[in-house]
Amino acid sequence: MENVLLKNIENPNSADIKEYMAVGGYVSLAKAFEKSPKEIIDEVKKAGLRGRGGAGFPVAMKWTFASGDPKTPKYLLCNADEGEPGTFKDRPILEKNPHVLIEGMAISGYALGAEYGFIYLRGEYPAAKHILDKAIAQAYEKGFLGENIAGNGVRFHLAVHQGAGAYICGEETALIESLEGDKGQPRIKPPFPVNVGVFSKPTVVNNVETLSNLPYLISIGGEAYAKIGSPDCPGPKIYCVSGHVERPGVYELPMGTNLRDIIYTHCGGIKGGRKLKAVIPGGISTPVLPPDKIDCAMDFVNMPKHGSMLGSGAVIVMDESVCLVKVCYRALKFFEHESCGKCTPCREGTGWLRSILGRIEQGTGAEGDIDLLLSVAANMIGKTFCPLGDGAASVVQNFIKHFRPEFEEHIRAQACVVQGQK
Amino acid sequence: MITVTINGKEIKLEKAVTVLEAARSAGIKIPTLCYHEQLERYGGCRLCLVEVEKMPRLQTACTLMAADGMIVRTETEAIADVRRGILEFLLINHPLDCPYCDKAGECELQDLVEKYGPTTSRFKEKKRKVTENLQDPVIVRNMERCVMCTRCVRMCEGVQGAAAIGVINRGGHSHIEPFSGNKYDCEYCGNCVSVCPVGAIMSRLHRHSYRPWQVKEKVETVCPYCGVGCTVVAQVRDDVIKRVIPRIGSPVNNGMLCSRGRFGYEFVGHPDRLTAPLIRKNGVLEETTWEEAIGFVAKRLTEIKGKHGGNAVAGIASPRCTNEDNYIFQKFLRVTLGTNNIDSTARMGYAGAQAFIENIFGQGATGNIISGLANSDTVLVVGGDPTTVNPILGLQIRACSRKGGTILTIGHVRGLQHFSPVELDPGAMLETTLLECLVLSLLDRKGLPGSNPALEAKIKAVHADNAEFLKNSCITKEGLADFVDKLGSSGTPAVVIGKDLLQTAGSGYRLFLVCAINYIVNGRVYLLSDHANEQGLLDMGCAPDLLPGYRPLSYAEFRKRYETAWKTPLPEKPGLNIFEMIGAAENGTLKALYVMGENPVFNLPDAATVTASLKKLELLVVQDIFLTETGRLADVVLPALSWAEKDGTFTNMERRIQRVRKAVNREGMADWQIITEVARNMSGKAHYTGAVAVFEEIARVSPLHRDLSYDEIEQGNVIYPYKGEPLRGSAEDIAVQKPAAAAEGTISLAIDRLLFHSGTLSRKSPALIKIYPEAVARIHPETAVSLSLAEGDVIRISSQSGKIELPVVLDRHAGRSSVLVPNIFEGTGALRLAGMGLDPVLKAPAINGTPVTIERIGKVTP
Amino acid sequence: MNTMPEKQMLSAAALKEIQDIRKNYPTARAALLPALYVAQREFGWLSPEAYEAVSDHLGVPKAIARGVGTFYAMYKHKPLGRHVVQLCTNVSCMILGAERLVDLLKNKYGLEPGGTTADNRFSLVIMECIGACGTAPAMLVNDDFHENLTDKNIIEILERYT
Repeated sequence: MENVLLKNIENPNSADIKEYMAVGGYVSLAKAFEKSPKEIIDEVKKAGLRGRGGAGFPVAMKWTFASGDPKTPKYLLCNADEGEPGTFKDRPILEKNPHVLIEGMAISGYALGAEYGFIYLRGEYPAAKHILDKAIAQAYEKGFLGENIAGNGVRFHLAVHQGAGAYICGEETALIESLEGDKGQPRIKPPFPVNVGVFSKPTVVNNVETLSNLPYLISIGGEAYAKIGSPDCPGPKIYCVSGHVERPGVYELPMGTNLRDIIYTHCGGIKGGRKLKAVIPGGISTPVLPPDKIDCAMDFVNMPKHGSMLGSGAVIVMDESVCLVKVCYRALKFFEHESCGKCTPCREGTGWLRSILGRIEQGTGAEGDIDLLLSVAANMIGKTFCPLGDGAASVVQNFIKHFRPEFEEHIRAQACVVQGQK
Repeated sequence: MITVTINGKEIKLEKAVTVLEAARSAGIKIPTLCYHEQLERYGGCRLCLVEVEKMPRLQTACTLMAADGMIVRTETEAIADVRRGILEFLLINHPLDCPYCDKAGECELQDLVEKYGPTTSRFKEKKRKVTENLQDPVIVRNMERCVMCTRCVRMCEGVQGAAAIGVINRGGHSHIEPFSGNKYDCEYCGNCVSVCPVGAIMSRLHRHSYRPWQVKEKVETVCPYCGVGCTVVAQVRDDVIKRVIPRIGSPVNNGMLCSRGRFGYEFVGHPDRLTAPLIRKNGVLEETTWEEAIGFVAKRLTEIKGKHGGNAVAGIASPRCTNEDNYIFQKFLRVTLGTNNIDSTARMGYAGAQAFIENIFGQGATGNIISGLANSDTVLVVGGDPTTVNPILGLQIRACSRKGGTILTIGHVRGLQHFSPVELDPGAMLETTLLECLVLSLLDRKGLPGSNPALEAKIKAVHADNAEFLKNSCITKEGLADFVDKLGSSGTPAVVIGKDLLQTAGSGYRLFLVCAINYIVNGRVYLLSDHANEQGLLDMGCAPDLLPGYRPLSYAEFRKRYETAWKTPLPEKPGLNIFEMIGAAENGTLKALYVMGENPVFNLPDAATVTASLKKLELLVVQDIFLTETGRLADVVLPALSWAEKDGTFTNMERRIQRVRKAVNREGMADWQIITEVARNMSGKAHYTGAVAVFEEIARVSPLHRDLSYDEIEQGNVIYPYKGEPLRGSAEDIAVQKPAAAAEGTISLAIDRLLFHSGTLSRKSPALIKIYPEAVARIHPETAVSLSLAEGDVIRISSQSGKIELPVVLDRHAGRSSVLVPNIFEGTGALRLAGMGLDPVLKAPAINGTPVTIERIGKVTP
Repeated sequence: MNTMPEKQMLSAAALKEIQDIRKNYPTARAALLPALYVAQREFGWLSPEAYEAVSDHLGVPKAIARGVGTFYAMYKHKPLGRHVVQLCTNVSCMILGAERLVDLLKNKYGLEPGGTTADNRFSLVIMECIGACGTAPAMLVNDDFHENLTDKNIIEILERYT
C-alpha cells in the first residue's frame, strides 16, 4: 500500500501547508465536521484503531471515557516524547508531515470535545519544534485551528510544549505532570487522565502516529480502515528498523507485517550478509528474540504470543558481532538513567542490575551473578509504580533467558568473548 | 457502606478510604515508609504492597481505594518476601550506622528490617557516601540515610507551603536538599524533621544528647509563643527538655509546628534565668531571700496603699502567663489593693479591637475556629502577614488556597506570595482610601443586609472618590473590580486582621471599615494575637474595665457578683490603662507598679519616656523569668517559674482553653504563687493548694468558665462557652473618626514581625538566635537607592522619641516608604522610636507610620 | 536570609518571551519548563541565579523550580562550551560504533563525556536515544542533527563549529 502517514515526505517542502493541501490535506477535517463527534468516535471504533505508543489501547474507548466526562475544558495531548531507544517513527511525521498530525488532532479534538491541545514534544527534537510551530501558525492562518475552525463554530487551540529529556514522560501521567511544570513522575491511577488529567480536566493522551491516522481513517471510513493489516489491530503502521540491516529506516506497512519479512524483504537482510544474532522487535524495553523466533506478525495482539511485544515497532537488528552482555548492560544504563526515582525497586534496582551487568561485561563477574541478576529482576517485576521498572527487569530476564551461555562465558573467561566488535 | 475483607476480617467502611486506612481502622498494621497521614497519597516505597483477589498485580495499600467486596491479604509469605526485597533495595545505600544515629529506637526503617529482614546484603558495590551536613544551625542532615520517601518534600511543599526543599536530579541520583544545597533558606518549621522516618533530617538541638528510649516524660502542653496555642509534647530527660514535638490529631495544629514552637524551648534552661529574688540596695540590685523580698514588697505596698489609697498602685499583667496567674494577679489588685488599675500589652491593639468588633458583631465574634479558615472559600487578609505572627493559622490560609479558595490581601503579604493571592497594595498612604472604596463598591454590589441599623447608619456615612483614588494609586480599575467581585461573591468569607492595622494612625477608622466590609459580606473575623494567653488575660479580667469572665466592670450586677464571691467591695471606677499608668507615674499620682511577666520599657512605645516615668515610682516590682530592661529599673525583682515549670491553662485566640502542664522541675514559685505570698503577707488570707484550686475558683466565680474543670479541659475541645450579644455596648457605641491624612514624602517606621522571634522568650532561645541572630533594618531596594544606601550599610534611624542603629538589608518585599524594624533585640527595638500617641477610638499606639529620618553611619564589618 | 544582592537578570526580551509562553497555559507553573529553556539560553546554563529569576517571574518557589529543572537531562547545571556535542550511545548507535566516536573525540579534542574542551569550544554530552537510529550513529550539535557518522565525517562536521 502507499504511504499514508509518510505521504509526500520525499517532497522537500512537505511540511508546508500548501504542499500538504495539494495532496488532499485538511479535506478529512472538513469531512469530519459533516459528522457529529459521536459519529466520528463510532468510525474510530469501527476502524479498530489502537494507540501506537506501545500499549495498543483501543482509541475509541479512551475517547468515549473522556468525552463522557462532564468537566470542561477537555484537553487533547499528543505524545511526541518518542524516547524508546530504537524508535524514530514519529520524527519523520513531525519533521516532514506535521500537518497530518495537526489535522488529526483537530479531528480528534472535535470528536472529543477538547478545546485545547498540546503536542508534548521531546526536547531532543529541536528541529521539529520549529517545524511544528510554523505548521501550527499556518494552520491557524488557514482557520484549521482557532476559535472557530473553518467557520464551524468549533474551537481548538494547539501549542507545542517542549519536554526536556526524560524518557519517563512517554508514560501518559508523567507526561501530564511534566506539562503541568512538574517532574515527570507517574501519577496514581485511578483517577485516570480521561477523567482527571492535565490541570485536573478530562484529558486524552495519544501518540503522534495514532493521531496522524485520523485523516486517512476519516477519508476512507472505519470499515475500509479495519480491513488494512491485522484484523485485531488494523491500519497502517510505521516500523522503524535500525542496526545491522542493509537498509535501515522507516517503513510504513500494514499492521501485522511479519518481522522476518521486515528484516529480510523490506530492509534487505543482514548487513554484509552476516549472521543474525538477536532482534529487539519493539524498542529496547520489549523482550529480545533469538533468530529462530522472528517469524511473527508484528502487531499488538500477536507479538505477546511469541514472547515479546510490538511496543513502538522499533526493530533493532543485531548481527553476530554484537556482545549481548554489553547490549544488556547498555540497556540497563539507559533505564538507570531514566528511572524517575519515585519508587524503590526501580530507583535502586535499575542501578544495581546495571552494576552487576557492568562487572560481568568488564570481566569481573562472579559465579552466582546471573542468579543474582534474576533475583534482583524478580524483586522488581510487578512491584514498581509504572512499567519502566518492569521493562528494565524484563530486559535482563529475557537476555538471560535466550542468551544465558554468553553471560556464563563472560564470567568464566573474565572477559568479553564476542569477537569482532569494538 | 463498603465492606472489605482484610486477612479474613470483615471491615465495614462508612466512606471511601484506602485499603491501608481500612486496615488501620481495624487494627491491622501494614508496613509503610512513604505514607504519612498528613500527606497526599504517594505510593513510592512499595512496602505496603498487598494481595488483592481478582487483581493480577500486587497493589499498594496506601493508594488503592477500598471497594465493596474486595478481599485483601497483607501478610502472606509471598508478601513478606516482597517486603524483604524492597528493604534490601533500601539498604543498598543506607549506612548501617544505627549505633551512632540519633534516630535509632524510633527509626521506621530499623523497625521494618527488624521485622522482615533481610539479614544480609547481596550488594557488593560501594554505598553512596554523603557527609553529615552541619551547615545549618538547627537542622542536621545525614542524607546518606535518606530513603527517598519524599515525606519531607511533600510536607514542605504540600502542607507547610514553604517549598524550601526539593528532590534534585532523578532516579538513583536523586537527593533532597534546600535550594542552596547547604543551609536552609526556609521557615524553619522543622516539620520535615517530624515526618522523616529515618535519621536523615533531624533537629540539631538534641544531637547525640539522648536516645529516644531514655525519655522518661512526654508532657503534652501548649506552646508558649503565639495566640494559636499549638499542642506540643515536651520530651524530658533529667529535668531538661530535650525536644519539643507536635502531636498528630491535636485540634489546633494537628502535627504541625512553627520555628518558635519547635526550636524555641531552650530559654527554659538558659543560664540567664533569674534564680533568686533581687532587691535594690544602695542603688544596686542584689540577691536576697524570698522572705525578705516578699516581706519588703508587702510592706511597701501596704504603706503606699495606706498613704495614697489603692489607686496609687497599678499592675501590668502578662499575656505569657497562665489564666491562673492572671486571675490571681487581678484579684490581688482588686481585692488586696482595692484598685482596678490593671492592664496589659493587650492594650497595644488586641483589646481595643476586640471590644470594637464585639460591639458590632457580638461577644465571642473573634473566637472562630482556626482550622475553619482552610474551608473558607475566600480569606481576606489585612494588617500584616499571618504566616509570621500566627504561623499555624497562616498554614490554614495556605491550605484554603490549595483547596481552591481565594486569598485576597490588602498590602503585600510575603508569606502568601506563592498562594495566588489577589493583592491590592496601594501603599500605606492610600490604604484607608482603598478600604473606603472597597466598602462603597461592596455596597453597590451587595447592598446592606439590614440586620444592624446602627452600624448601617455609620456605613452609609462612608464616602470616597473612587476615580480620584484610582488616579492616585497604582491600582487599576479592573484590579479593584476583580477584588470586589471575588470578595462580594464569596459564600464563606473570613477576614483576618493583623496588628499592623491596629498599630497605625487612624487604626480605629480602618478597623471600622474592615468591620463594615465584614458586615456586608457576612464574614467571620480572626484577630491575630502574638501572645499565648493574650485572650486569656482579658478573659481573666486583666483590664481596667473588665472583671473575670470578660464581664464589664460598669455593670453593677457583675460587680456585685464578684463582691459576693470575693467578700470585698470593688471600686466602681475603671482603672488606668497601661498608657495612663505611665502617665500617672510620670505625674506622680501613681506610686507603685507591679509588673508580672512583662517588659514595658521594651514592649511599650517610647522607651525613653517609659523609663523616665518608671524611675519616678516609689516602688517598682518586676516579676519575670529573666532580668529584663524593666527589671533593671525595679526595686524588687522576683524570679518566676516559666511555662514549662508550672501547671495552668492558656486561652488561645479561638478562645479554646487548654492545659499547660509542668514538664520540668525547678525550684521557685509560679507567678500566681508569688502574688499569693505577697497577698498573704499583706492580708493573711490568700491561700491555694495548687493551680487546680485557682482554676476551681475561676470556674466558681466566672460565668464564662462556670463548672469547667481541668478534667474537662484534658478531654479537649473546650472552647469559650459563650457567644452572643455584645456585653459592653453595641454598634451605636462605636466611634467612627476619620483621621486626617498623614503627611506625604517621609520615611516611616513599620514593625517587622518576625517568624523566628517573639521577644523575651525567643531572644533567650539559642536556636532561634542562630536562625535569626540580630536585628536588621529592611528597606526596599528602590527606597535604598533614593537614600543612597546599600546592603550592609549601618544606619541610624531617628524619630522624635529615640534612635537606633542597625545594618541595612535590602528587601523588595518591604514597603516603599518605610523602614522595617523588628522589636526583638535589646537596644534596637522598633518601639523605642514610636511615640505615645494613641488612636482616639482603639486607644492603641500608632507605631507604624512614625516618621523617621535615616542617616548612614558606617558599614558592617565583615 | 533576607538579603537581596544584585543578581544576574533576565533580559527584557526574555521576560517578554516568558510572559508570552505563560499565556499558553492555565497555570504559571505549567510555563516552568519552557521558561527554564529561555533562562538556559540567556544564562548559558541553569545557574542558581537563573532559577531565582524564573522563580521570581513565574511565582514558582525556587526550590521547586530547581527540583524540576534538575529532573530533566536537557537542562544544564554547569557552564558549557560554545558548541554542545550531544552524541547518542544507546544500543542502535552503540552497535554501529558510537563508542569508538567517543574515544575519537577524546583523542582528537581531549573531550571527555560530560566535559568541556580547554578552549571552551566543545562540550560533550552523552545522550540516550535521539531518534536517529536508522541513521546511526548520530549526534546533535547544538540544535543540528548529524547522522550516519563515521570516524572521518564526525571530525569534518565538528570542524565547521568554531
